[in-house]
Amino acid sequence: MASKGGKQSRPSSGFTGRKGAGEQEEEEQPLQAVLVADSFNRRFFPVTKDQPRALLPLGNAAMIDYTLEFLTSTGVQETFVFCCWMASKIKAHLLKSKWCRPSSPNTIHIITSELYRSLGDVLRDVDAKSLVRSDFVLVYGDVVSNIDISQALQQHRHRRKMDKNISVMTMIFKESSPGHRSRCEEDDVVVAMDSKSQQILHYQKTQGIKKLHFPMNIFHCGSDEFEVRHDLLDSHISICSPQVAELFTDNFDYQTRDDFVRGILVNEEILGNQIHMHVTKDGYGVRVSNLLMYDSVSSDFVRRWFYPLTPESNFTDQEGRSCTYSRHNVYRGSGVSLGHGSQMVENILIGCDTSIGANCCISNSVIGDNCTIGDNVTLDHAYIWNDVHIASNVAIRQSVVCDKAKVKEGVTLNKQCVLAYNVVIGPNISLPEGTVVSMHHPDEEEDEDADEFLSDDAEVGQSKDKTKQKIFNPAEVGAEGKGYIWKAGGLDDAEEEELSQCLWGLVLNPDPESDSEDSEPDDPDDLMIPSPEMDDVKVFQMEVMGTLQRGLEENIGCDNLVLEINSLKYAYNISLKEVMQILTSVVLEYPFQQQGPNLTPSQYVALLLPLLKKWAPVFKNYVKRAQDHLDCLAAFEEHFLEQESHWPAMVKVLMSMYELEILEEEMILRWFSQGATTDASRRLRKNQGLQKFIHWLEEAEESSEEDGE
Amino acid sequence: MELQAVLMAAGGGSRMTDLTYNTPKPMLPVGNKPLMWYPLNLLERVGFEEVIVITTKEVQKMMSTDSKMKRDIKMKMEVVCVPEDGDMGTADALRHIQQKIKTDILVVSCDLITDVALHEVVDLFRAHNATLAMLMSKAHEFTETVPGQKGKKRTAEQRDFVGVDQSGKRLLFMANEADLEDGLSVRKSIIRKHPRMHIKTGLVDAHLYCLKKAVVDFLTENKSISSIRGELVPYLVRKQFSKTTNSQKVKEDLEDQTQKKNDCSTNHELLISSRDEPLLQLAQERSCWNDHRGDMSEAYHGGKLRCYVHIMEQGLCYRVNTLAAYIEANRQAPKLFEEPPVHPSAVISERCQVGSDSIIGERCQIAEKTSIKRSTIGISSNVKEKVKVTNSIVMHSVTIEEGCNIQGSVICSNAIIGRGADLKYCLVGNGQRIEPEGKTQQHEHTQS
Repeated sequence: MASKGGKQSRPSSGFTGRKGAGEQEEEEQPLQAVLVADSFNRRFFPVTKDQPRALLPLGNAAMIDYTLEFLTSTGVQETFVFCCWMASKIKAHLLKSKWCRPSSPNTIHIITSELYRSLGDVLRDVDAKSLVRSDFVLVYGDVVSNIDISQALQQHRHRRKMDKNISVMTMIFKESSPGHRSRCEEDDVVVAMDSKSQQILHYQKTQGIKKLHFPMNIFHCGSDEFEVRHDLLDSHISICSPQVAELFTDNFDYQTRDDFVRGILVNEEILGNQIHMHVTKDGYGVRVSNLLMYDSVSSDFVRRWFYPLTPESNFTDQEGRSCTYSRHNVYRGSGVSLGHGSQMVENILIGCDTSIGANCCISNSVIGDNCTIGDNVTLDHAYIWNDVHIASNVAIRQSVVCDKAKVKEGVTLNKQCVLAYNVVIGPNISLPEGTVVSMHHPDEEEDEDADEFLSDDAEVGQSKDKTKQKIFNPAEVGAEGKGYIWKAGGLDDAEEEELSQCLWGLVLNPDPESDSEDSEPDDPDDLMIPSPEMDDVKVFQMEVMGTLQRGLEENIGCDNLVLEINSLKYAYNISLKEVMQILTSVVLEYPFQQQGPNLTPSQYVALLLPLLKKWAPVFKNYVKRAQDHLDCLAAFEEHFLEQESHWPAMVKVLMSMYELEILEEEMILRWFSQGATTDASRRLRKNQGLQKFIHWLEEAEESSEEDGE
Repeated sequence: MELQAVLMAAGGGSRMTDLTYNTPKPMLPVGNKPLMWYPLNLLERVGFEEVIVITTKEVQKMMSTDSKMKRDIKMKMEVVCVPEDGDMGTADALRHIQQKIKTDILVVSCDLITDVALHEVVDLFRAHNATLAMLMSKAHEFTETVPGQKGKKRTAEQRDFVGVDQSGKRLLFMANEADLEDGLSVRKSIIRKHPRMHIKTGLVDAHLYCLKKAVVDFLTENKSISSIRGELVPYLVRKQFSKTTNSQKVKEDLEDQTQKKNDCSTNHELLISSRDEPLLQLAQERSCWNDHRGDMSEAYHGGKLRCYVHIMEQGLCYRVNTLAAYIEANRQAPKLFEEPPVHPSAVISERCQVGSDSIIGERCQIAEKTSIKRSTIGISSNVKEKVKVTNSIVMHSVTIEEGCNIQGSVICSNAIIGRGADLKYCLVGNGQRIEPEGKTQQHEHTQS
């Protein structure tokens, strides 16, 4: 558990002079960092069955060493390392390393727990233990970087000083155009930001998305200049305010940083928290999130892109790790022997005490310590870890060979093969592309699958004994081979559709988009707004229908029906006019709804008239002003225009509405004389029955007038 | 001749009807010059020798009588009249004069007052062999109180969203806020090609366009487009990223029966723009120049249709299409020409104050004890004794009787302001007469 030491700031000679001015402002608070030495996923399975990801060698040093070196060089003085999977191994490694020496400017506290399942858990624990006192740096144990974040840190502090802790996080991005080697396809993001304040307004992963969508509200923040950036690589380094830990506690459903970012951006208006970004042009910062990234990061390392972190600098300060640097980026450790006629083409790093036979051809590769390589071996983009034995006449392309593996004579490893720990392959076999061989039987996994949240690294010990001695398949791994083939590509997991567990990450297929592009219409409707699904009026109509139906079934009084319709009217924000029309059309439709569309006019009338009588009070409640009558009649007309076959019924319905005093004769006459605008409605008015009815009405009116006089 | 200039001067000025009631917009006096003098002068300054002016009969008549136009404009003007009543859009007007157009064109609106270095726009057009190059400027806040407008002016105006690439020159998309209720969506392929897109709001379109001749030909076949700004430009901007030639063929076959075919086939012509295309193509292939960084694809990602925009960061750029802009333009316009603010033929008595920021037109008579500050007095106006004119625009042949106090107002031609009238932030219509001792306070209109 963490020893709470090192609170007082250390003598300033202890660290690099980079931090400068930012220090005093910080009231002598040492800069803290939270390093999460677990990936909480199984991307590197089965390799990480034997070694946690943070300890996997990259350029012959453990990945966590790069992360710690980065933290120390930016001026971090106190680091909390959170481990879960194989915590003991990480702890042992760290205790041995230079970071735990008393001279280290960076105090390391190792905190382990089996219970961490996600970044969220770690940060909630940070909050519970109140470990951080001020802004801190959040990184993963597999981040490789040489970015100088002191400038970003200053900006972050400045922002927090200026407006009262609104900014909770500054994400660090590295500029790199789409298609750059070090871009991780899975991590492809599009960020919308405010150009002036560098505030992140929208953050979206683009994987598998064809059209990027930016909600309008992000453009309402008062700025008049925005940027949409797709040329950024997320370095997975973030400067966080102490609130971040609290926010994780408050929102117990946040698991990853992406959850957090999404949550903050969506709730910006409510919580008032903002996220900013810092873009570096020349630094290097990536997270090794799959083997493809491992490949590109390793080659960048050998090509000295992370200067001052270089292979020969021996930044881990271990004894006997020094190596020499010669042209074409060839590095050789001490005690390396090279056979006659072997070629070191370029970009090669060879560890200590490794011997290479004659007539080999090696390029773009990293070879660990104490390896033996036979004659006539071809290595290209091969990552050979420690104590590996490779016999003669072997060819390896873009593959990873883990510790203590043996590759026998005449073996060919095609692209993207992985030989996990202690595997033996060969002789004379060629492994197809993407083969993964491990000493662990793939079935072992099933036992663990019970808990799908398990991180990379749970229970190791027991599984070994459980394995019944299964027989190695010589057809797969060769006559003398030892190891089981893991299914290439995703494991058995249908349930984990998220980034299939493929070690190598996504296949970089040529962007399918460019072909499909033309399938999209590029006409003016490109920007058209899609029609809204089911507008309120529709819903209201359904509801009214339901209400009436229920009223009929349960014999609800008309007053209550009116009440219900009124409340619906407010709920869906419907105007009185629309209520009128919808009510009329619903009632007129009702017989069809109940009995199907094939009613004869006489059946229809027979069904409708009792209903009208029953619901007359409802109508009367709404039909009051002259305009209401006309609206009602308009809806009536509309209904019968659609149901031409029922015109014979029309007069009867109108008649009964007149008799029930829903409609007044004056209004009916007005409608009849004025309303005709289209051919169809003119035709409707020519209907004989209707004309007769109107005629009758006119006469009645005249006679009533006469009576009146 | 590389570019033919076209001046669009047939607009009615529908957003400032108070002013254009009697004077058509192109002839409104700004700094005692007709509005259309400014774009003409802009063209002349950069060496155009000919211009096609599209306008109405009425304006043509006024032009022929206006002395300023005759004297100052030395360019050869070819006036084409369009019917006044028909609502002819700018694109319709271009279609109207298609016969006269032999080369690429530069279209200017008559209400543009700017000191832009015009070559900036044209250079973009040339350098990128663009289909469209246009001018935009940072929008100005009009701070002055506007006569006849109560309270704060419209803040709820819809913003235009303009997307440009990293260099700030390539126009990637354009949309109005009103069309973006559902949010802004951008195809990923565009983002991939232009990974860093600046989205700007608060820009005004100066309505100055360089267009390829092919676009005019395209217009003649595409009768549905009637306005340059409203339809043609958005169409061109969008077309930049649609699939080109080969897929077009397929599409054409599919949509044979629809009228879209028409659209597509003309689009072909739109792409094959200039006669020395093969040579340019070759030059582009052989050159190591590229318009973008990051990926290895060819310049412009193979796109043939390109739209560019020059955004003025500073300098003068007004579109005189509202009253507020008109007032502001009057204030700023004198900076654009180097004439003495007081015309030599004006008669100004010795005992009056005329600020150096005021303009006095020809044959004006300014009597004693008057004070004129930050104002424009039009031709043949008569200002009597003890008059105070501040912050106002007085058009031609206006008579201001003794003792008037006029502040922040616009007084149209031929008006007579009675003795001792007090006008504050008023707009006095053409030929109106203000009663003596009349007191007209803020925001009142006088209009026939």
